[in-house]
Amino acid sequence: MNVKPTCYFEASARTRIAKLVDPDSFSELCPPHLRHSSPHLARLNAPVAFDDGVMVGRALLAGHPVLIAGQEGKFNGGAVGEVHGAKLCGLLERALSERPAAVLLLVDSGGVRLHEANAGLIAISELMRAVLRTEEAGIPVFALIGGSCGAFGGMGIVTLLCTEVVISEQGRIGLSGPEVIETVKGVDEFDSRDRALVWRITGGKLRRVLGDATRLVDDDIASFRAATAELLGKHAERRLPASDLAALTEEHEQLSARARRYDTARDGRIVFEEAGFTELESVALMPVDDFNRHLEGTP
Amino acid sequence: MNQLSENPASWDAQMRNSSARRERGAAFARGREVSAEDITRLLEAVIEPGDRVCIEGNNQKQADFLSRSLLKTDPSRVRDLHLLQSVLALPEHLDIIEQGQVSRVDFSFSGPQAGRLATLVEQGRIKIGAIHTYLELFARYFIDLTPKVALVAAQAADRDGNLYTGPNTEDTPAIVEATAFKNGIVIAQVNEVVDKLPRVDIPADWVDYFVKAPTPHYIEPLFTRDPAQITEIQILMAMIAIKGLYAEYGITRLNHGIGFDTAAIELLLPTYAADLGLKGKICTHWALNPHPTLIPAIEAGFVQSVHSFGSEVGMERYIAARPDIFFVGRDGSMRSNRAFSQVAGHYACDLFIGSTLQIDLAGNSSTATKGRISGFGGAPNMGSDARGRRHASPAWLRAGREARPHAAMPRGQKLVAQIVETSREHMQPAFVERLDAWDLAESAGMELPPVMIYGEDVTHIITEEGIAHLLRCETPEEREQAIRGVAGYTQVGLARDRRMVENLRDRGIVRYPQDLGIDKRMATRDLLAARSIKDLVLASGGLYNPPKHFRNW
Repeated sequence: MNVKPTCYFEASARTRIAKLVDPDSFSELCPPHLRHSSPHLARLNAPVAFDDGVMVGRALLAGHPVLIAGQEGKFNGGAVGEVHGAKLCGLLERALSERPAAVLLLVDSGGVRLHEANAGLIAISELMRAVLRTEEAGIPVFALIGGSCGAFGGMGIVTLLCTEVVISEQGRIGLSGPEVIETVKGVDEFDSRDRALVWRITGGKLRRVLGDATRLVDDDIASFRAATAELLGKHAERRLPASDLAALTEEHEQLSARARRYDTARDGRIVFEEAGFTELESVALMPVDDFNRHLEGTP
Repeated sequence: MNQLSENPASWDAQMRNSSARRERGAAFARGREVSAEDITRLLEAVIEPGDRVCIEGNNQKQADFLSRSLLKTDPSRVRDLHLLQSVLALPEHLDIIEQGQVSRVDFSFSGPQAGRLATLVEQGRIKIGAIHTYLELFARYFIDLTPKVALVAAQAADRDGNLYTGPNTEDTPAIVEATAFKNGIVIAQVNEVVDKLPRVDIPADWVDYFVKAPTPHYIEPLFTRDPAQITEIQILMAMIAIKGLYAEYGITRLNHGIGFDTAAIELLLPTYAADLGLKGKICTHWALNPHPTLIPAIEAGFVQSVHSFGSEVGMERYIAARPDIFFVGRDGSMRSNRAFSQVAGHYACDLFIGSTLQIDLAGNSSTATKGRISGFGGAPNMGSDARGRRHASPAWLRAGREARPHAAMPRGQKLVAQIVETSREHMQPAFVERLDAWDLAESAGMELPPVMIYGEDVTHIITEEGIAHLLRCETPEEREQAIRGVAGYTQVGLARDRRMVENLRDRGIVRYPQDLGIDKRMATRDLLAARSIKDLVLASGGLYNPPKHFRNW
């Protein structure tokens, strides 16, 4: 049949996991039939999900054992509540004893679930700590981003703590979402309907140029799988070094320098220009392979 | 007795009247050119109370600056107007009514202003002559509703007043021809005045005045459908349409209504239809606006020709690069023409397929809802049997044989299909016992319920449940059960006579996906030739330039 490869952007979290890992290798922890759903949503008479919008489990990817979590963006925008957060933290805690090749977080989330704000905020801070602890133990944590919700709010922060960030062009990383900024600061500050602007500021290509993302891939699950497999191979060869103070200080200095450099930038254009992309209109349409080749050719 | 000498009537009163208007107008014009500052005074000079005025405005291009200028005229001088226009689209079109300068309106579509128009009618502040189809209204321009003043929009004028309307020519030729040759005054707003036009669409001696508008005329990107919003239900219905209707009748010449349902069909041509071996056998010749969702089918070689009612924002470069497919002038830009395309859709297409809001048990289909007077546009012209048609085609002949198997005199029939989900948003049923159009007719004092497509013209209904071949029904009772048989879980669908529907199914009148060999599980978005606007841009080789709010990259 003349069908296109399965699109990552549109797939459900379950489809993403099923097609990302080795066939039939996924086994789910806390599966939906156990009905770990949100007590807060139930109290508000809001619809609940039996997996609270996230599935966690173990699987093989190109033969490497991994722990994997997938957020369902179509349930409350993938937002993190108490149970949802606990499942993610529990998975990272399990990594310390199981020692998989990596923990894969398929992030698709607007951030904290407002219905259970305090519990959600605590969950995010626990999650940040758990990611750092896992990496400290020499186990890399990968974020995969290519869903419609992107990685925003607390999940934007968690994503930037990860060892590797694989993103598609449709994927986005940010803190406050464009609609939130427009609501709070006005349309002159950020026109959330100007989709091209939104993507030039938060989208996958910009995040890759800035170095926030370590791989840019096509929007299909097979491409995410190929990039993840390649990174698993890389980390299997070279164990993650325990982060030391000197390395952290250096990274902070680099980030401060970047913040100063783009302090007055109103748009991602300048970042693309500095990366040597001369025709800005064509950046958006440039195939991912060409884009990556161009980027790797730049010093 | 000498009749001629005794006849007191003159034969050129209208002509002398327009000369007088032009003399009054001369004070505000340099030749044919009027400055934006003087346009309101010019309008006051050339318009007389009671005039029939046509403001060009259809569902795409709008003479918006002239509309706004008309609003600024002195209501004591410019009054009792009779507005004649394709579409009441802009708020200004109704503001002029609210200002009390209009006493009567004849139109065909009111889309976004439908609610406000209904209120004005109920308050008795405006009288509607009639709600027409596009072709009907154009026809009346030449019989009994000839405009005295036409306010039209063009892309550019040269110093002499020749007009270039470019890809969005649309209604301009019909309006100008009727006005200019029957003693009327033609005033054009243009985006720019240039020394040399790319081509002349309207010759200068049909134009009395032109004015460079401060901002380019507004064009609505009405036919752009983002593939990202197409649902799996719509994909299933598209599969049923392609296999159960297009392939069944071998439909090569057709028109698609606007909507996600038909966009899904267009996007399934290079995938699903190609796999069925239908390339070259269906969908080769179109009367269609340049839908961006048709790009993949064009690129796949499915399409041989497309004539358009209007253009579509962002499609200009793509069209110009595909002159074998579209109607393109020697200057390289498309020429559209709503009147000709409507005629083409009526007489030279074998199928019209479009969506609707309500269908009753006789198959009458309506988009009217209470509190909204929205009109029809072109759908009734496309979606009706062309009784004046005399040329044969296999699809047309077969439809005729199926509809009148016992008729002594053979004749074909146009295929008219309605494609709807059984329930619309907010779980409103698409199938009803009684159309809202009846209530609207009552509350607005209309002579007829505003029915978009009459049941006798509807040959097929497609829903997610299946396809009903209404033309194969022998009695009204069978027709009703065939409709109920595809009406799903609506009240109308639940009240079906199951035995009768099964009988219709055995006779191939009602067919479900499994009867057609369609695997419902195949109906996923992976079947779409493009899943996003960006996919369309890529399919066009970067030639399609979508409006920015359709982008997500």
